[in-house]
Amino acid sequence: MAAQSGSLPRYIVQRLLLIIPMVWLLLTLVFLLMRVAPGDPVTASVGGRLPPEAIEARQEALGLNDPLIQQYWDYLSGVLTGDLGKTITDNTPITDIIKENGGATLTLTVAAMLFALVIGLPLGLLAGRYRDTAADGTIRIFGIITYAAPIFFTGILLQLLFLNVFSGWPLLGQSTPITEFTVETRTHILLLDAMLAGNSEAVVDVLKHLMLPAITLGLLICGIFIRLTRVNLLQTLQSDYVEAARARGIPERKVVRSHAFRNALVPVVTIIGLLIALLMSGAVLTEKTFAWPGLGNQLITYIEQRDYAAVQGIVTLFAIVVVVISILIDIVNALIDPRVRY
Amino acid sequence: MGTTESVLALDPAGSYDLGSSTLQYAMYHQLLTVPPGTTEPEGDAAESCEYTNPSTFQCTLREGLTFSNGNELTSSDVKFSVERNIAIADPDGASGLLASVATVNPDGSLSVDEDAIETPDDQTVIFHLNKPDATFQYVLTHASAGSIVDEDTFPADALLPDEEAVGSGPFVMSDYQKDELATMEANADYQGPRPAQSPRVFVQYYPEASNLKLAIQNQEIDVAWRALSPTDIADLEGDDAVDVFEGEGAEIRYFVWRLQNQTASELAVRQAVSYLIDRQAISERAYSGTVEPLYSIVPPSFPGSTEAFKDVYGDQPDQAAAEQVLNEAGIETPVDLTLGYTPTHYGPNAVDEATELQAQLNDSGLFNVELKSAEWEQYQELYQQGAYDLFQLGWFPDFVDADNYLSPFFVNGGFFANGFTNQQVNDLVAQEQGSTEAATREDAFRQIQQIAAEEVPLIPSWIGPNVAVSGPGMSGVEETLDAAFIFRFWDVTKEG
Repeated sequence: MAAQSGSLPRYIVQRLLLIIPMVWLLLTLVFLLMRVAPGDPVTASVGGRLPPEAIEARQEALGLNDPLIQQYWDYLSGVLTGDLGKTITDNTPITDIIKENGGATLTLTVAAMLFALVIGLPLGLLAGRYRDTAADGTIRIFGIITYAAPIFFTGILLQLLFLNVFSGWPLLGQSTPITEFTVETRTHILLLDAMLAGNSEAVVDVLKHLMLPAITLGLLICGIFIRLTRVNLLQTLQSDYVEAARARGIPERKVVRSHAFRNALVPVVTIIGLLIALLMSGAVLTEKTFAWPGLGNQLITYIEQRDYAAVQGIVTLFAIVVVVISILIDIVNALIDPRVRY
Repeated sequence: MGTTESVLALDPAGSYDLGSSTLQYAMYHQLLTVPPGTTEPEGDAAESCEYTNPSTFQCTLREGLTFSNGNELTSSDVKFSVERNIAIADPDGASGLLASVATVNPDGSLSVDEDAIETPDDQTVIFHLNKPDATFQYVLTHASAGSIVDEDTFPADALLPDEEAVGSGPFVMSDYQKDELATMEANADYQGPRPAQSPRVFVQYYPEASNLKLAIQNQEIDVAWRALSPTDIADLEGDDAVDVFEGEGAEIRYFVWRLQNQTASELAVRQAVSYLIDRQAISERAYSGTVEPLYSIVPPSFPGSTEAFKDVYGDQPDQAAAEQVLNEAGIETPVDLTLGYTPTHYGPNAVDEATELQAQLNDSGLFNVELKSAEWEQYQELYQQGAYDLFQLGWFPDFVDADNYLSPFFVNGGFFANGFTNQQVNDLVAQEQGSTEAATREDAFRQIQQIAAEEVPLIPSWIGPNVAVSGPGMSGVEETLDAAFIFRFWDVTKEG
């Protein structure tokens, strides 16, 4: 019985099946939250600009005059068929917005996560390895500050720093207009398109534009990695098997590298799933600060325009992404740590 | 060029906003255009235009005009463009400006008048106006009302998607990503007075004024135009790396009295506020001195403008005169007054302006002003419902003629329906609209402004300059900054 419940395939199937109720629950929450807001979306968005009959027509077209249960069904079936509806303000299919802007958000979040991992993990391990030293103190303070500092504050500070010290370094947007113009759109991920085109100048340009937003967003996650890795390493260093390794006379450096470091990183994988939501919400603020043409920027624009249909569509995508990635991380976690399956 | 102005639509029939028209001027021919630094239209697609009588406006098109898709541009396209604009009547569009060549229905809506536009041959267009209208030539200069579109490409009864829009103007839109980047390339086939001086222009859109400021400081863009905050402009003036240019302004702010309200219905109250308002202090304290006091609703650079409010009330606050006018009317002080503004439409300094006026009036001891604010959509409903005795509004001209600052405001309550009616004003408006004589029109303009100052249906507050910030090596930027608020990409060049 125990062997069956701990089998990896069964675990993966269970987690994948769990996506269905989780996504359903999230979609229901998104749907209900958008309807809890007072007033109707069309009036909130374009009221005062359109005559009453035009507002009525748009309400009808959006199905807002239908019974709530009908709207709910239409929404769910739309999501299932990949139709997230159209915006109220400019009648654009939301899938088009996701196609056009999703690549920029993906680029930013992946780069930020890489930055956080590359900086956060070594610093966390270093702090744990040299506990209660000056290096440990400095790294811990750094971790607290980067986690606590609001994204827009960090972003603006970096912009001002680069404006004054490295004048000319790109501070806004995803690339120069020339790059945007010359690189043919294939995947809607500009960095990838530039690579596919073999345009090294464009690649460098996009990477330069990416650096500050990725650092800003990455720093937020970095602080969490530092603290988590440090604590895990400290716990691992006090564990029985590490003590046993020491007792066998294995040099301390090898004990730390071969036994403690690897095991200290396992819980970090778990937390990555939880950090996806933080990363997505952080991306919204980062994109706004750096005029980064991603979904977060679009989301804020549509929130400002009170375009509930657009907000609902983009938030739905964010929710699905968070759920799916969380489940995938669970599966990866189960692969590297068999205890998770039991 | 960088801007924070968003673009509603590239189809002229579907927009009436500065962001859209800025691109449309570059993409399309209009029949007439306004050259830099003037208020007199000249031919664009038209070789010549003239009023053959006050109700008939006739234009002759240039020979050999073509759209960038190769289709010929003829008088039939002109007729089609105007009629489809009226027929579509998009709520976000400017079809209302074309009332002189439409049938005005009893409910005020417009429908196409098939006989209003005559095209005897491919080069000739004759507009039969439904009333004498000297402003019609100016209407044709506006991108949203006067742009000429291809009748073989644009649907007659619906808007064309942005990605399909083609024109015949000095630039061709080669790539357009809404709210992100517009790329325009010089149209080699353009004929007219505005050939492009640069082979390619990029328009970069920023969500925040702070982004725009950073972009020009860091030279990521060559020109920043619309809309830096007053604080940003003041800050950039001290930056040696950029040039701040100011041209004649046409953007104004003013406070409207709602005459249906008891307090606002008292002429003495309105006049007392006119005596007390300190426009210079509003400019300095609310806008860091980046705007100029305005003493008439018509900007000073427009022919026929007169500083009527300065003539009647002076240019300094006059407490004694305010007290006297209230005393003579037997009005008890302090007078309770509700002052409305919106923080979500006229920029972050609108609250500073309203607060400053509130302080000025309260400090006089003659008024007890309560400030009220609402988000823009709600604000428009509230001021029409009478929530405020006095409320702040702003205005951008549709075209560079003083009429555009008078008839929308003072004829039968104006567009804000504030209850002001004056038959003499109505007659004067009809008179200036019906005349093509400059002297006659300017005399009527001056009389209307004088009546407005005496009757005070509204109080002008300030006029903002047309500001652009330019990086090194740019030319043509300063020249385009005038009251027409057209950014003439075709005249702007960059060294190297």
